[in-house]
Amino acid sequence: MKILKPAKAGTYESNDIYIMIQPNDNGIKIELESIVMKQFGKRIEEVIKETLEKLEVKDAYVVAKDRGALDYTVSARVETAVKRAGVEK
Amino acid sequence: MWGIDISRVDLKSKERDEIEGFLEKFDLSLDKDVEYTICARQNGEIVGTCSFSGRVLKCFAVREDMQGEGLSGKLITELTNVMFDRGIYETFIFTKPKNKDIFKGLGYKVVEEAEDVVLLEGGTSNVKRYVENMFKRSGLDSSEKAALVINCNPFTLGHRYLIERAAQENDEVVVFVVEEDKSVFPFKVRLDLVKKGVSHLKNVKVIPGGYYIISSATFPSYFLKQKDKRLKAYTELDARIFGKFIAKAFNIKKRYVGTEPYCPVTWDYNRALMEILPKFGVDVKLVERMTICDKPVSASYVRELIKEGKMEEVKRLVPKTTYDFLISDEAKDIIERIKG
Repeated sequence: MKILKPAKAGTYESNDIYIMIQPNDNGIKIELESIVMKQFGKRIEEVIKETLEKLEVKDAYVVAKDRGALDYTVSARVETAVKRAGVEK
Repeated sequence: MWGIDISRVDLKSKERDEIEGFLEKFDLSLDKDVEYTICARQNGEIVGTCSFSGRVLKCFAVREDMQGEGLSGKLITELTNVMFDRGIYETFIFTKPKNKDIFKGLGYKVVEEAEDVVLLEGGTSNVKRYVENMFKRSGLDSSEKAALVINCNPFTLGHRYLIERAAQENDEVVVFVVEEDKSVFPFKVRLDLVKKGVSHLKNVKVIPGGYYIISSATFPSYFLKQKDKRLKAYTELDARIFGKFIAKAFNIKKRYVGTEPYCPVTWDYNRALMEILPKFGVDVKLVERMTICDKPVSASYVRELIKEGKMEEVKRLVPKTTYDFLISDEAKDIIERIKG
């Protein structure tokens, strides 16, 4: 999948994550803000990366605002944002 | 959190008065420049509201007994989605220092804090990345520089004099032109007239000022020309952001400003710069404003002359490049607007 235009998914509500995705020139760049950064920051970034890999996204700029989302929520929000942003290659 | 409806407010209807009444209880008001307002109701009663103008979320309030229930998150989501769909990905919020943690919990980051106001950024904004990109795009190197920030509405001999002074006294000069499009001369025209007006100075680079230099995000009172209790807080905020981010990325050691005989807002701003910038290692050079026939040259005076149709007098106060523009077909609409 190639990211063609900016897209978003999710909410700023508790137990959710707000994902914004934009086109990028070289590789994956993730900027994460989380209320549980110290405990789970690394893990959330991993889930975002894994989801992008699964969808074969090679270049993307991702900004994520997390309010304590569980792994599968993170993954679902990323997938939705990607599908809103791009087309199948 | 059951039974809450969030909907858009028609700002031309009676609902506007209801929102104003609600905000009043929080010592807030619905700013004149608000573009879009939403409100949350429970059993028909207002329990929360939030608005935006440009990139800035404002006039935000949640009824006391509903605070901590997650309503803020719902309001921010709703409004951010609307902004996103309009192509506004970078957003800002001003708040009092005591409220900053509420927004930090909603994914906002503090850009800078002054005594009485905090600027936070959300969405995809990131001040460091933004300023670094500004610097990269400018093509400048890391040598020490002097800087000016000007609006130039329009570019006059006074502006040119100030830039020439800086160019004589420094190896490299960078001029930031205020990017916010709230002046009668559009940003593109202002930028172009500055570039043309200083093209003879080889060590001067003219670039757009971006979101973080005198913009609605750093300094809303500048555009409202309002001298109120918030002015001091905003001038301080803008000065601190310049010192902390812009001066650092561009290696700016001096900032030139002209004396201000007319506008009290600009005068207060100059004073804030002189107080704050030295703390970030930036000297402020206050240069006596150029006078022609015993009158300080200012863009607002030029606009007044344009309004009265005194183009011969305008000719004495602006560089040829500006004058040529003013009498061109391209300027007709702008001049009509000035004449009102």
